[in-house]
Amino acid sequence: MTFFNDPTLLLIVIILGVTVILLQLYIESRRKPRELPRITRTLLKCTKCGNVLEIDYEEGDFISLVKGKCSKCGAPMKIQAIYTIEVKQPK
Amino acid sequence: MPGDWTDYIGQIIFILFFLMLFTGMNQKIQVKLWAYDIRNKLSIIKRYADDSRSRIEEILNKLGVREPSGIVNKFMNFFMIEPVDIEPTDIIRRLDHLIRSRERIFKDSLARTLPELGKYERSLLESSLEIASVLNYVYKSIRHYLLLGEKYNNWVLLMQLQFMMPETMKLVETYYKSLDSFIKGTPIGDSVGPLVAYKIMEKGKILSKNVIEDTVVAEVWLDNRRVYVIKAEGPGSNVGKPGKVLADLVEKLSGNVDLVVTIDAALKLEGEELGEIAEGVGAAIGDPGPEKIAIERATSRHNIQLSAIVIKMGLPEALHAMKKELYEAVERTVDYLLNLIKNATKEGSTIIIAGIGNSIGVAQ
Repeated sequence: MTFFNDPTLLLIVIILGVTVILLQLYIESRRKPRELPRITRTLLKCTKCGNVLEIDYEEGDFISLVKGKCSKCGAPMKIQAIYTIEVKQPK
Repeated sequence: MPGDWTDYIGQIIFILFFLMLFTGMNQKIQVKLWAYDIRNKLSIIKRYADDSRSRIEEILNKLGVREPSGIVNKFMNFFMIEPVDIEPTDIIRRLDHLIRSRERIFKDSLARTLPELGKYERSLLESSLEIASVLNYVYKSIRHYLLLGEKYNNWVLLMQLQFMMPETMKLVETYYKSLDSFIKGTPIGDSVGPLVAYKIMEKGKILSKNVIEDTVVAEVWLDNRRVYVIKAEGPGSNVGKPGKVLADLVEKLSGNVDLVVTIDAALKLEGEELGEIAEGVGAAIGDPGPEKIAIERATSRHNIQLSAIVIKMGLPEALHAMKKELYEAVERTVDYLLNLIKNATKEGSTIIIAGIGNSIGVAQ
């Protein structure tokens, strides 16, 4: 007896095939590209020696704000940029 | 074997298939499935709209407003009727008038409600209310078409709505997530233009600085050239009136300008890289019309070269907190712009640089 002569087996194979395809389509529709979490950082630059420092963003920070003193020369530091970076997940 | 159960199943499926085909039942099932899917997505949009609303109400509560829901309701339902366009005469002037009126009423109402609030905080609140208003409008529109489709059994309408939903959801998510930046006041992707302008101000020697209509005009001496830098006043959420201010400046200088450069964020095409820089001609500004036409008219009247530099990004990047990749693009743009100025103009020339976009988180 061949595969095509057995209607029960053929029906089961068709039902199984359709189920697998539907399941795959459903999983694909649910799957979203994984987006890594991001944190906001503030980039400071010394107004005198040009020393650059990246720190965590604090509410109230804005570009051109004078914030803190340079660890090298003691001159005031100015915010040059505020941006987000991806947080690397530990493997 | 005759009488086998698989034969019966096969027969039933065959009959059902034919019955559905001729009675239109398959279409009805499809419409029900579409409506079900739209309803599910609509509930997500409602959650976003409600959440953004409650976050703003919470802020207003902290600021001492007794009944914040009334204020939020008023701003969320505020609208502007587009000017008549079948008679295009003076449409720009009418549109400009309506845009200015809308802004003034919005700002004045908020100032009356929260008189003690500073300009910076008020601008952030204004933008947050606008985002909540967009989310609320999208929710109400989708609900309207869903109910309309179901009421009149209009399956074409439901089908169109269902096909539009993935794009709509992406847009809604983008707006919802952007609320964080507007509440905190961090620079967004659209702030690349004002940030380039700020960096140019820093590179040269500032001779004068004025604020006209929420827009900063700084006169800078750079590479032996007189450079006027225009940007929206920061660090609040503000786009200013760079077009009008630029046009007035050109007139004030009697057209003695050698080069005008506008720098703005531009929506990238799918497949293009984030932060890609492109140069072209024209006014790089994405307003509804009045600002752009003011730049075009002023430069064409005096035959001034009008260059444009754009930094490419997607809509989510433009509205969310600025990514490091975009900041790096800003630095590259500043170098590019300095080269362009050196190559296109001689020493002693007068140049106008306009950094277009929202100056949130970028002062001057």
